[in-house]
Amino acid sequence: MGKLFAGVAHRHGLGVAIFIGSAMTLWLFVLVVLPQIAMVTQSFRFNLPPAEQGGPADVWTLSNYAYFIFGNGDGLNSVDLWVLARTIGVALFVTIIDLCICYPIAFILAHSAKGMSARLIVLGLIVPFWVNEILRAFAFRILFGTTGMINETGMALGLWDVPFDFIRANVALYAGLAYAYILLMIFPIYNAVEALDHNQIEAARDMGASWLQVHRRVVLPFAKGGLASGATMVFMLTAGALAAPQILGGPSSLWFTQLVYQWFNDALNWPRGSAYAIILLVVCMALVLLGMRVFKVPFGAIGK
Amino acid sequence: MNVGKGLNVLLTALFITLFFAFLFGPLVIMVITAFNSSVFPRISPWDCFTTDWFRTLAGDRMLLSGLLNTMIIGAGVIIVAVPVGLAGALALAEASDRLRSILYTVMIVPILLPGVVIGISTIIFWNWLSYRLGDLEFLTDGIFLSILGQVTFIAAYSMLVFTSRLQRYDFGLTEAALDLGATPGQAFRKVLLPFLRPAIASAAVLAFLSSAENYNTTAFTIGAQSTFTTVLASKVRYGINPSISAVAVIIIAITLVAAIINEVHGRRRHALLSGGRARARIMGNPILCIAGHPAFVALILLVAIAAAVVAGGRYDSSVCTARILEEKRALQEKLMQQMTPAAPASETTPAPPPPPTSPPSTGGGLNPYSGVFGGGSLPGPANPAPPATPPSPSATSSPSAAGQPTNPYANVFSPGNLPGAAAPSSPPAPPSTSSPPP
Repeated sequence: MGKLFAGVAHRHGLGVAIFIGSAMTLWLFVLVVLPQIAMVTQSFRFNLPPAEQGGPADVWTLSNYAYFIFGNGDGLNSVDLWVLARTIGVALFVTIIDLCICYPIAFILAHSAKGMSARLIVLGLIVPFWVNEILRAFAFRILFGTTGMINETGMALGLWDVPFDFIRANVALYAGLAYAYILLMIFPIYNAVEALDHNQIEAARDMGASWLQVHRRVVLPFAKGGLASGATMVFMLTAGALAAPQILGGPSSLWFTQLVYQWFNDALNWPRGSAYAIILLVVCMALVLLGMRVFKVPFGAIGK
Repeated sequence: MNVGKGLNVLLTALFITLFFAFLFGPLVIMVITAFNSSVFPRISPWDCFTTDWFRTLAGDRMLLSGLLNTMIIGAGVIIVAVPVGLAGALALAEASDRLRSILYTVMIVPILLPGVVIGISTIIFWNWLSYRLGDLEFLTDGIFLSILGQVTFIAAYSMLVFTSRLQRYDFGLTEAALDLGATPGQAFRKVLLPFLRPAIASAAVLAFLSSAENYNTTAFTIGAQSTFTTVLASKVRYGINPSISAVAVIIIAITLVAAIINEVHGRRRHALLSGGRARARIMGNPILCIAGHPAFVALILLVAIAAAVVAGGRYDSSVCTARILEEKRALQEKLMQQMTPAAPASETTPAPPPPPTSPPSTGGGLNPYSGVFGGGSLPGPANPAPPATPPSPSATSSPSAAGQPTNPYANVFSPGNLPGAAAPSSPPAPPSTSSPPP
């Protein structure tokens, strides 16, 4: 760190070095590290009224984590455990769907589309994502409602005759989540695939490889970093999504972030809300790191 | 071989078409619903073309005050996140290889943190700090906390923008400036910063857009105040109507205008920079020179939008809506006459199914009822149905859409079926834990 500071000061001047140093301190220390420590500390506390804080009852506890696993004492807290399992499972499912949708688009964009059409595709990809996240979810609410477009079309075609409740069945939620972060999947894959020399694909083709083999043996291994980067971001954002589940989620199924929200904002139990947030964070991060270990991708690939 | 290639092209085209249908379809449908007079956002059955939902919107004080907060927060985020991101990118560029990978990991983590985690940690830390410093009010202010919470991850976006620009910077330029006698500070200000100017602009735009649309973090940090997005979210959660689609129309219109101007600007710049024939073609022809200028395109789009706004403001759909209402009332009366013998039966119909009790529900609080009332004929569970609710139009006008199970309930609230005194005492209870503030 000291060497870095000296190097910057030498090249850009002392003022710039102080600016960089203080900005980095503000960001990484004051905005990231300290709040995380505060949240972890809070999660090991009882939820006490202000009068009792600092009093004899204000001691360390594991009760907030115990509640997540055991509930109020009798057996397992199956409701919350199931919500977590479902959130993670669905987030994985959505990530895989997005991978399948985005890989072909990214490949076409990088190697088939030229000039004008490539520009148009990029523009077409970006424009929907300037629209507010809430409004995108709202659009799916309209589309999948009991009197929505999908039901009207399906019934007009005679595919089914009673309106199907897509919201209760969570179909709307899955579609909305898959839609929400598609852009974050496409661009990392695109960046990775684009760096591949097209001659390598041609060479593989000339030597008799089928398209499947070209992708499996040449493109996919090359683009692994981009795929991992996109998949990580989509998975983390989907598991941590709050707006889409609140708007599109079925009435009888919750998303884990909604539990956090309820403990925090409805029950005003900050310690337990913190504990639940930490549980979500730790489980997701562990899965991401595990995935990177399995697919042998370095963490630095993310975001590139 | 040729057949295979043709098939390949066909499949590619089909895939791209389907993909963009998925991308744009929902938005297009949402935009159309903003112009249908039906109180529930939908495109069929089509009632009347109307611009009333935009008028509803213009009178929405909550949304407008939220918009003001969004602007303040967005400005604050730009002011903090862009310099911080620049500092991060510069530190990365100067760091040794080993330190760089550590720094990069640390800086990229805020992007991966779930928004709720950032929101909660921010609010807890600053509340604690404010408490320790003797209840400093401004430290727990919703706008202040939202700026800090959003900067936590938006700074990382800025860092990525600056990093990709810096990768194309030749640090030899700085060295040259130093050799020619510039101080390090001068070299930074006069050589490096001008080179980064486009990146500063795109980082600022990106920061503002991410700030304005953020919900996950802001929902926690904003506290008792509200932003445009949180107002929108509570509107959507507690009763949807087409004025939300009207918001979408406005945002999409702004987006398209910005995208078109940006595209025109980019293409002209590209042509001018590439020089030669492309440049001569533009500069040599006065019409092309003006018509292709971004300012001119912006002017045309502005005039078109102004014309649309004026025309929409003059458009009066009241005659058509009155007619539709009349038709519905007639239909309702006919149905009621048919139902009269069955009235006692519908009185004993059990109340709508109780909300799921196991998990306290904030999210789909509205959902159990949305089907029951024939989709949005009531504003939402926040308003207990008054005894004299007007005949629910959507439930009766489209029996197919409202569905079989909803009909008995639709008539429970029609005045004819309710013996006066008993009615007001039993409005449908909103889901217990999620009862929103009226």
